[in-house]
Amino acid sequence: MVTDSFREYLQLLEDADDLVSISELVSWDLEASAVTTLANRNDGEVPIFESVEETAIDAALVGDPYRGPQCRPWEFLARSFGLPDVRSGTAYYEAVVDRLRSPREPRVVDRDSAACKEAVHVGTEVDLLSIPWPYIHQGDGGRYSNLHTVVAPDPETQWGHWSNHRMMLHDDALASLLFLAGEQVPNRYYYEYEPRDEPMPVAVVIGAEPAVQCSTEMWIPTGRSEAAFAGGLKEDPVDLVPCETSDLFVPATAELVIEGRVLPNERLDEGPFGDYFGYMNGPRRSMPVLAVDAITHRPEPRVPFCVEGTGVGYGQNSSSTLQTAAAGPDATLGLQAAGFDVSLAVPWRFTSRTVWVIATDRPYPGYLHELANFIFTTWGMLHIDFFVFVDADVDPLNPRAVLTAIALESDPDADFHQFGVERMPKVPLNIYQTPDEKGSADVGTSKAKTAKAYIDATTDRPTANGSEDEALRARAQEVLVDAGLSPESFDLLGDEGGESE
Amino acid sequence: MIPFAQYLQGLASNGDLVTLEDPIDVPPNVVAAEALRASGPALRYERADGVDLASGTLSGPDQMQCRESRPWSRLALGLGLDPEASLVSVLETIAGLGPAGGDAEPTYAGQAASHTVDSVQELRLPQATDDVWSSLTLGVASVSTAEGSHWGPIYGSVISDDKLRVRTPAALSSLLDDDGTLSIALGVPPAALAATYLLAVTRRIEVPVQACGVADDVPLVPTNGGLVPSATELVVETTVADRRPDFQSDRREAWEHGVSSTPLSLSVERVIATDDPVIPFSPVERPLADDLQLAGLATAATLYRRVNDYWGISPVEWVLLPAEAELGICFVATDVLYAGFEWQLTNLLFTFSSLFDTVVVVDEDVSPRDLGRVLGDIWVKAHPSRDWIFSEPSAPAAKRPRYRQDGTTGARLYVNAAWDPRWEDSYIAPRVSFEQSFPKSVHDAARKTWTDCHDTVLDDDRNGS
Repeated sequence: MVTDSFREYLQLLEDADDLVSISELVSWDLEASAVTTLANRNDGEVPIFESVEETAIDAALVGDPYRGPQCRPWEFLARSFGLPDVRSGTAYYEAVVDRLRSPREPRVVDRDSAACKEAVHVGTEVDLLSIPWPYIHQGDGGRYSNLHTVVAPDPETQWGHWSNHRMMLHDDALASLLFLAGEQVPNRYYYEYEPRDEPMPVAVVIGAEPAVQCSTEMWIPTGRSEAAFAGGLKEDPVDLVPCETSDLFVPATAELVIEGRVLPNERLDEGPFGDYFGYMNGPRRSMPVLAVDAITHRPEPRVPFCVEGTGVGYGQNSSSTLQTAAAGPDATLGLQAAGFDVSLAVPWRFTSRTVWVIATDRPYPGYLHELANFIFTTWGMLHIDFFVFVDADVDPLNPRAVLTAIALESDPDADFHQFGVERMPKVPLNIYQTPDEKGSADVGTSKAKTAKAYIDATTDRPTANGSEDEALRARAQEVLVDAGLSPESFDLLGDEGGESE
Repeated sequence: MIPFAQYLQGLASNGDLVTLEDPIDVPPNVVAAEALRASGPALRYERADGVDLASGTLSGPDQMQCRESRPWSRLALGLGLDPEASLVSVLETIAGLGPAGGDAEPTYAGQAASHTVDSVQELRLPQATDDVWSSLTLGVASVSTAEGSHWGPIYGSVISDDKLRVRTPAALSSLLDDDGTLSIALGVPPAALAATYLLAVTRRIEVPVQACGVADDVPLVPTNGGLVPSATELVVETTVADRRPDFQSDRREAWEHGVSSTPLSLSVERVIATDDPVIPFSPVERPLADDLQLAGLATAATLYRRVNDYWGISPVEWVLLPAEAELGICFVATDVLYAGFEWQLTNLLFTFSSLFDTVVVVDEDVSPRDLGRVLGDIWVKAHPSRDWIFSEPSAPAAKRPRYRQDGTTGARLYVNAAWDPRWEDSYIAPRVSFEQSFPKSVHDAARKTWTDCHDTVLDDDRNGS
């Protein structure tokens, strides 16, 4: 079964006992986030908070709905795409890459049949604070929405560009958006709309179907549409519906849509916020202003949020899972399409947006430099500082195998390559620059530049241990399961087993 | 002192050992490697034909997969500590098994092994799938000199009923007298095996075991070769048949990565065993193998003691050479006393060990059980250029990595993932965590909300964090 809405996805989780419904009254002020943090840390069910204090509309909060199990983070999304039998990470990547090779254009539906239009508030009826936005970490600059899709105009596709930029609420009609120059939508705002003194229409889609949220996390080539890749992902077109106050289209089954304009030459405070690095980042800075013109939603909307910062180390959250389960397959396909002999490109398990591991062949001298140059100057520019290259027979989804490759194959003298030392741009969310270095550049990036590096953990020698007999390994795993060990820990047990690495 | 068989009972009663009953139609090496891969328990193989075997007894869960894991907890039990003991307790206990500066008071007891075994092959020791012969691993070799008995690790193959080909530290082989008598103890108390690895990695094999802390803890008994633990499961008494045998083996037990070893061909003179012997083995060169874990802990114990003895104070919280990095990276948590201290510390570690040439420095408050955090902080806290520090390219290559094995020199690297002591407090970014991101009142409410929905105890409650 493929899920076509966030609500269907939650039902899928509930049917598998992977959702826990919390009916007692919970506060949006840190409490929902704290419970979600416990769930993330303990690999527990996804919590849905049915009753939230001080909420004008009957809405529920959902804590990190896309977080998958720590041993198989892609599992819930695989189920939602109708890939329940995909057990190993490699098989999941292969299946998703295969689907992304066949994008499907979206389908425009009538507004009367769009679930997200069941309640429509425009003009003076707009009340942004009627929604129970969570206050996520102690020390955050305000209440945030941070698990959504920002739809913005794109001159090359009528469906617009989809991306995610955290949004801090200010009052009933205003919010600030974290716009970092170097990303497509912020670039369009800073270098096209704002110089023309023109507001940029946007829609913030909250609680979109899983395929939409996944394609939002992908680096889609210019001129292509995230909406089409979302359709490819679920092998069925995504239903879109026109906005009430702009020419943009939004996913019709979304829980909640906020329509508005990013105002030119207006700024509001944004941050600090505990973002994906796992640390609170600051200082508070000025960011573009979203003026809200309309809010449409389903009855009793489910509002997802991510406790950012809990997806580092051993933890998983929606952000880290989406990187592994969506951005990874997309990057794998993108590098293959660009002509590189890459077998897998995977975010590092312990800090998914700073380091990536790429398993690749090396067909000619200088290949790794060319590959690093390509990815640092295209999709890895602002957030990613390191790439680790491993041999094509090393599984990047197995962090132990990657650490071993780094330890044994990466010669400090020859295999650590720094690109543009102190020449590269960096997001100010980082924690290794001082506040002075981050400064307050008008376009959002740090004032000071940084370095990027790649590590060559490949080897020139044949594999030392030789190949292992998979049939014997599988039989050994059966022996161990028969003796009482959990099948979840094993990777060669077919339908009965699991995948540990 | 905990005899090996008793140690296995302790693991079983803690739910950390599973028994496999005959018939097992897969080589024990393969089963052992799969159990390690899956962070499974220790295993005991009950066999009708051959001695019982045990694997995973000195290993533990994969720290890359498991939060709060303690790969050293089994060895802690074997050393007489609580399995929940801290890494530092284990390191200090291991270090205490080494040379005691004349304070050791050895005790002696009767030989537990009294049953004669006709042939070594009768034992049916495990055999790797691509090996011709069965292997003995995790052995303690004992050689007697005028100073006393000297212990070293021994690893090798059973060639015939009465012939072994083994590798031992060159320092031990050099102590063999003209008679060339050497005893091999298999299934020794964990403290004895830890002491043996410690003596090897610290290159102190010349110190007789009677002068080591292990002699205070482990009763000894004489054999033809030298003293061995009295509670040994199986003793193989041998004489050297050939000091320069012509054989090659690419496989190495982990201690050999840092210690020069030599081959020996041995003639088996006598094999004695307990009534129901059980012998440990390690799937050598497989990920997380027992010998790898033990070599990592013995090396870390040495480094921890040496660096904390160096400055008159003890700024280092822990040292870890995780098996997950195959001993090729040293992780150290320390109080960075002043700007540049991290440079001093890492270069001291390079001085004291030739295994690695990459060191990662983390803040003192990072738990060694939280390797996941370390493996995030390396990239997040360390500036990609300023905090990845390379030496000039004139250092010899470390012994463990596979690169630059032609003798050429190159750079060493340390990654400083600790906060800069020169930074103002306001520059230090608070971590996002349950403890730091929410006030106490919210902790309590959140715990109640969560536990009201569940019957199970939260992991963080169980771990007391």
